[in-house]
Amino acid sequence: MSSTLDRQIRPIYDALETGSNKSAVLACNKVLKKQPNNVLVKALKALALVKLQKVEESLVLCDEVLASKPVDDGVLTAMMHVLRGLGRHNDMIAMFENAYKQQPTSEELGQQTFLANVRVGNWKSAQQIATKMNKQLREDRFLYWSVFSTLLQANDPSTPPELQPVLLKLAQRLIETTSVPSYSSPDRLYVHILVLRELKLYDEALALLTTEIGQAICETSLVCEELRRDLIHLKGLIKEEGDRAEQRIVEKKDRNWLEFISLLDAALWDVTSVPEPSDEAKAAAKERIKHTQEVLAKVAEEDGLKDRSAALASLDLEKRARAQDVSTDPSLARTLAENYFSKFSSKACCYEDLQPYVLFEGDELAKWTSFLESQRSFETLADLQRGINVLKLLRWNLTTDELTPELELARAKDYVKEYLAALPFGKSLPDTELQPADDLALLAGETYVNLWKLTNDQSHLFSAASILEYASARSKQSYRIRLLLIRIYHLLGAPSLALEHYRLMNVKQVQTDTLSHLVLTRAATFSLSALGDITYLSECMDSSQIYMSNSQETSEFISRAFQMEKYSQIEDIIVFEDRLDNSLQRDLMKIEHVRMRLAHEQINADLVDMELIELKFIFDRLHHDNRDFSIIPNYQPHSIPSFNEQTLPFGKIPGIGWLTVFLKIYIKAFQLASDLVESVEDKLLIGDRPKPSNDPENKIPLNERLAKKKEEEMEELTPDELAFYEFASALSEWLAPYHDYARPPPSALLAEAAKQNELKPGHPLRNITPPPDATNGSSKKDEEPPTVKEAPEVVSKFFEEMRTRFKAVAEGSQEPTELLHLATLTQEAFLVFTIETVRFKPASVIKQNKLNGLTPAFKEVRTKAVEVLTEISNELIKIAEQSATREKRDAFIAASKDVQAESGFDHDFVLGVARKTTDAKKHVLEGVGKGIQKVLKNHA
Amino acid sequence: MSILRPFRATDLFRFNNINLDIWTETYGITFYFSYLSRWPDLCCVQEAQDGKLMGYILGKAEGLGTEWHGHVTAVTVAPEYRRLGIGKKLIDLLEFVSDEKYKGYFVDLYVRCTNEVAIKMYENFGYSVFRRVREYYGSLGMGRDSKDEEDAFDMRKPLSRDPGRRSVRSNGREIIVGVHDVS
Repeated sequence: MSSTLDRQIRPIYDALETGSNKSAVLACNKVLKKQPNNVLVKALKALALVKLQKVEESLVLCDEVLASKPVDDGVLTAMMHVLRGLGRHNDMIAMFENAYKQQPTSEELGQQTFLANVRVGNWKSAQQIATKMNKQLREDRFLYWSVFSTLLQANDPSTPPELQPVLLKLAQRLIETTSVPSYSSPDRLYVHILVLRELKLYDEALALLTTEIGQAICETSLVCEELRRDLIHLKGLIKEEGDRAEQRIVEKKDRNWLEFISLLDAALWDVTSVPEPSDEAKAAAKERIKHTQEVLAKVAEEDGLKDRSAALASLDLEKRARAQDVSTDPSLARTLAENYFSKFSSKACCYEDLQPYVLFEGDELAKWTSFLESQRSFETLADLQRGINVLKLLRWNLTTDELTPELELARAKDYVKEYLAALPFGKSLPDTELQPADDLALLAGETYVNLWKLTNDQSHLFSAASILEYASARSKQSYRIRLLLIRIYHLLGAPSLALEHYRLMNVKQVQTDTLSHLVLTRAATFSLSALGDITYLSECMDSSQIYMSNSQETSEFISRAFQMEKYSQIEDIIVFEDRLDNSLQRDLMKIEHVRMRLAHEQINADLVDMELIELKFIFDRLHHDNRDFSIIPNYQPHSIPSFNEQTLPFGKIPGIGWLTVFLKIYIKAFQLASDLVESVEDKLLIGDRPKPSNDPENKIPLNERLAKKKEEEMEELTPDELAFYEFASALSEWLAPYHDYARPPPSALLAEAAKQNELKPGHPLRNITPPPDATNGSSKKDEEPPTVKEAPEVVSKFFEEMRTRFKAVAEGSQEPTELLHLATLTQEAFLVFTIETVRFKPASVIKQNKLNGLTPAFKEVRTKAVEVLTEISNELIKIAEQSATREKRDAFIAASKDVQAESGFDHDFVLGVARKTTDAKKHVLEGVGKGIQKVLKNHA
Repeated sequence: MSILRPFRATDLFRFNNINLDIWTETYGITFYFSYLSRWPDLCCVQEAQDGKLMGYILGKAEGLGTEWHGHVTAVTVAPEYRRLGIGKKLIDLLEFVSDEKYKGYFVDLYVRCTNEVAIKMYENFGYSVFRRVREYYGSLGMGRDSKDEEDAFDMRKPLSRDPGRRSVRSNGREIIVGVHDVS
């Protein structure tokens, strides 16, 4: 590069680096004025434009640069970022392949081409390139690239099964012909073992790991050690491994729980390895169990309070022995549990540790219970943790007989009392610390929730909210208290308070995928988007950021792991990328976003077409559920459902079935409303089409899939969602023939698109030449129009039925979530109806297509819908007004009397919680009510 | 009782009980993957028997010449699993691998000068202050009454390759350097 040019180009790079994309564009323009054909500058400008989200402008430059078949390093690098930003990975591969072809000796280009294929999971091409590079450059690294790509290709679901062994054999041959042994590095050894394991050559694999070097590698490489354990299991060398584990535990003081598992597996192997063990086998097992218990007892004694592994392993061994009917002492389990408790009850995890081992019955349970009761004390800070463990463990074993409202109420009061009494222990802690008494408040909160479940009396939820708010104010960092409050506020119809607590948990990055379900499940029910309040819409957008980062960033690390030869990480990162990309929560959020958006915006072709394309992509995905429910604390007894189950909004959690139903509803609605047919869609697409999953379901024609109703999917819906589903499917079935008749032909559509394109500077549509016969959509139709039928009963009766449902709740329980659910679903039905009738709104369309009968049919449905929705809206506003009155607040305070009387915590505090809760409830009921009016006005 | 196993990419879906705690920062995906794709053997987790994650450590190997060492980037344990020696086990592993595999001279870590509990704990593990780094933490921490919050102690522990303990010094607390002087 000449120095003048360098001087001109440096500012562009500088601007890009600092994110001043606008000045980068200006700097590019300056150079391009003098040198209009400078490919590097064009590429850099394209990059700046992509970063500015000016996709269309950048596409023109991008295509020009690609057409020049670049080989220059700077151009290629810039283009790599451009194409990644546009999601055009296949173009990227083509670009690098092209460059590599022109300079076949370039190692750099070979690598880039390989990595471009890696990023999109093109294992076959990747393997071919790596093989070629290895032949050319004779570098072991490329050999291993080739081997590992072969392995990944073999494991790829799209690879035919008969090809798999061939590929694996090939991989094995490649490794074993190289001069450098695989144990030159742990990750190479890892690849070698993996190949052998896939080929079921376990002996060969173990032989590699038991060499001196192999053993040394397993010492420092946990991944190789993990493979070794796996091979031992596959070979059935359980007893040998048990002996080894015993030695490691006793001599090397290894306290990895995996060693203890090996020890226990070996102790029981005589009876677990055969379906019906003989008496001798049982005797042998008993002998070995006895020996193992002795070993563990000794280790436990040695370790004292330092390590709980051996003590827990004793419990686990006895539990397993009992399951296999080779236990010799009926009270051993209890004795061990008591010993364990005596030793570790000052640790917070004592409860979780013991849970699986204390499911006693009858006499043993009675003894265990009285033992625990004897341990109860809250006198000192040191006692506190033990006292908490006592209460948790006692609660865990309560039977349904002991869970009457009276007894539960007594317990709740007891927990509150102990909580308040224990608070002073944590008084001097800084507010960044968790309070030691927190778990007592959690116990109280969960007990009140169980009382609500038992009695259906909402006042218990008020008590729960009061005590937990109190605890939250004292232990600001406790996210566990907030988790309970989030669920409780949803049940109380105060979603804004739930959202407040959720935000204080500071959920971010990948956590938004696993935790946003806490506030965004069926969020459309609580959203006031119709009134222009975009709180939930933006929460969806924010929570979806992580999926963008994933698709832009994660694959880079797959290629980086190749470059660093850390093969052991590659498959996991690929799995991670896939699980996040195809996350169920991602698309549940997407559906909520669509539902809220429809109430918020005008329904026009842009919205319809864009959502249609996106939802269809989602429909082809194979989803993974990454949502974390285990984070929600549970202190309910094992005889009843967990706290999470008790407080699920609407009693049901949307899963893949729910998602599929809503996708079907909206794809069908948008498909009818849209002019896009598949042939057109392809030409309007910018990035690559995502690879559809290998689900055989995806091979069935789209319309058939959309029409299919599946029992297991419908089971995930609430009864009212089911009614909405029936309405939507009957509606689209009714209207499909008229849409198909009236939709302009594709040729007309493409002509229009081309025309639009000429008007604005930008990207000329790929492969579009307007067909000569295009006449702007008004071509004469050959067929007669379909006869207009009346609306099917499911459609015409829907709104009336929703009115009845709503009235029943409004005059009955007035449960706020139920009211909102019914109101928003009725509104949603109206919006779907609007989407599917918007095409026929202009009188000219009706006339041109001779579908005159439709107008009165639509009018009838619409009139009913408007009437019902107006009534619902009025009723909601009325209930809202009544919900934040003084009487309601007093009722709240009266309800949480137990909490106050015992505690003496002040009336004002409870009043504050009452006011917040009733105000929040009023806000959402009123907002949804007014929102309905707005929606009706918008689509009058 | 805990399982020591490699940190896996998919653990990011499961570390909420650890990361929702105020003292543990949740970074972007690239942060975790830049460690996993380079030093997978210095990244591991402790898992409870029921599959819950208890804690994890992320580390790296860096430095030139006698500065070649293992570095603890993050070590964290969920509140409910504290005071069980989990952190010690994680650090032991990192020291062991830094010693045996990477042949480093020492292991080091950074800690807020005000975090006395942690400093004491690391001293018990054999670490000592090597130097004080001014304004290492860009922001103030959560503590209430300390103005030295932004400073960090760089604490070190020599490994077997440094039998003469040349990588540590006794007056480390008095040696003050700027944030640009450290890597």
